[in-house]
Amino acid sequence: MRLGTILAVLALLLAACGDSKSPSKRVIAVIPKGTTHEFWKSIHAGALKAAAETGVDIAWKGPPKEDDRDEQIKVVEDSVTRRVAAIVLAPLDEAALATPVAEAAKDKIPVVVIDSDLKGDAHASFVATDNEKGGAMAAERLGTLLGGKGRVLMLRYQVGSASTEKRERGFLAGIAKFPGITMVSDNQYAGATAEAAYAAAENLLQRFPELDGIFCPNESATFGMLRALTSVGRNGKVKFVGFDASAKLAEALKTGDIHGLVLQNPFRMGYLGVKTALAVLDGKPVERRIDTGVAMATPDNMTTPDIAELLNPKLPENVR
Amino acid sequence: MTDSNAVRLVRRLGPFLGLALVLVLFTALEPDRFPTAVNFRTVLTQTVIVGLGAVGMTFVVVSGGIDLSVGSSIALSTIVIARLLRDGASPAAAALAGVVAGGVVGVVNGTLITRLRIAPFIVTLGTLQIVRGTAKYLAGEQKIDAPASWLAGLMSKSPDPSWLVVAPGVWALILLAAFLALVLRRSILGVHTYAIGSNEPTAVLCGIKVDRTKVLIYGLSGLMTGLAGLMQFSRLTVGDPTAATGLELNIIAAVVIGGASLSGGVGGIAGSLVGALVMAFLANGCTLVGVPNYAQEILVGAIIVAVVALDRSKRGA
Repeated sequence: MRLGTILAVLALLLAACGDSKSPSKRVIAVIPKGTTHEFWKSIHAGALKAAAETGVDIAWKGPPKEDDRDEQIKVVEDSVTRRVAAIVLAPLDEAALATPVAEAAKDKIPVVVIDSDLKGDAHASFVATDNEKGGAMAAERLGTLLGGKGRVLMLRYQVGSASTEKRERGFLAGIAKFPGITMVSDNQYAGATAEAAYAAAENLLQRFPELDGIFCPNESATFGMLRALTSVGRNGKVKFVGFDASAKLAEALKTGDIHGLVLQNPFRMGYLGVKTALAVLDGKPVERRIDTGVAMATPDNMTTPDIAELLNPKLPENVR
Repeated sequence: MTDSNAVRLVRRLGPFLGLALVLVLFTALEPDRFPTAVNFRTVLTQTVIVGLGAVGMTFVVVSGGIDLSVGSSIALSTIVIARLLRDGASPAAAALAGVVAGGVVGVVNGTLITRLRIAPFIVTLGTLQIVRGTAKYLAGEQKIDAPASWLAGLMSKSPDPSWLVVAPGVWALILLAAFLALVLRRSILGVHTYAIGSNEPTAVLCGIKVDRTKVLIYGLSGLMTGLAGLMQFSRLTVGDPTAATGLELNIIAAVVIGGASLSGGVGGIAGSLVGALVMAFLANGCTLVGVPNYAQEILVGAIIVAVVALDRSKRGA
């Protein structure tokens, strides 16, 4: 009897939770690295917009345990057995996800990779930010702010993170074009969390009391540096350019503690990811590499509609 | 007499009924996609890592112990294998070293538990951190890329040669589970394991070398964990110091769903395997049906509690 009760409850639960979609519609699986960050919600919103325009369904599913490579492999495998029409994937690891993607491609399910690159050539296209260009834009902004001279430091993000390494490379190449600027430090790492970045930034600021400019290549490093600058009262005095947006960083941009934020366009990444997958399905030729663009937010332009949308994306109800 | 036999039968069959339930349920909900050969092959492959861990963990749990360090140990194995491959070792040697690394962690656990007389929960809570830290140290706090080798084929869903039908890893799990089920039921080690788990003081009085047996049990379980680490490496093709975080809880859940008692003396390999299959089919089925992650987690948790509650009621306690 109890068994029966459990069975009934189970069936009810599943029926209630399962998405009710018409079987005739094509389903595109969109697989992020995780589901809780703002960044992924913007990608989801973009994917949903593309789906609404083209009349397909989006199956949005991240790894149940975030940042777990094996869990993401399972989601890709299950999408293949589910026979989705195509997969849009932000791979957690450029090597570990290559095998399941190759297997999906062998099963005639095209895969479009977004956000971070993947090894091999089984995927149809790579839709992402041009990170080197983003780094170069940051160098341009900082160099201009400093009038082409001064002492600058860069707090790196983490060893082995491909996207931020490209930003760092782009920044260093860009800053080299200003002969009057000296890099006082570019070999320190912020680490994975904002907490670790805060500590690293405090130590750096302690070491360099005379400083004119700072660049940080991602959200957590930028936030950690901002906290460190504020805690020693040097916020606003040092020209500071960061990468990515959050409510806190946008606020600091407004108060003049941050002088520039390089912004990616995750909404566009989700949107173009789905559109590109559909183009592959329809047999249209697609570019191997699609740039989703970067923009520089400054205290002056942050209220213009384009930048404001990137700084503080208005997400539709269904992805919150 | 007959009544206790009936209770015993239900206890033995309980996990199988649970598995059948899950299979029937998802077949009804997703008749086109769930009960297919491709999907079953996929789920079997996904079960291998937790399954190997659960087979080893069954010995530990039946002996009245627990091992929380298995997730970290799996990560350590992937690092050992990836590093050796990167430094030019042969795939077979690297794989062996990965399995042995797991065995070493197990022997260390067993030795600490018996020498220091500290509860297994506490000892392995400590080694969970120590082993994870060691893995990160050996990896230089990043994942290690290894050159391609045949090890990646161990968990391939399209195995080579194709007459294997399922991945070599699945066969390894089946054969080892069968062998260790015999060991647990028929060998001296198995009998002693049940004796220690049922009543340790009595086991001592009966002349069983409890400490030595415990080290053996944790060592054996460690070897299985090392093998799970090899399969994890095969799946990821990289050494990942953060791999399998929290996996020990899935493994323990599989053993518990399989009918083992955490107070020791009760449990079996077949049940634990079925427990692992239940969890894998649940996760797979939920994804196919489109159940969101949070609902899936709530569901698995509810099932663990429900299964144990059901078990209690059958025992009439």
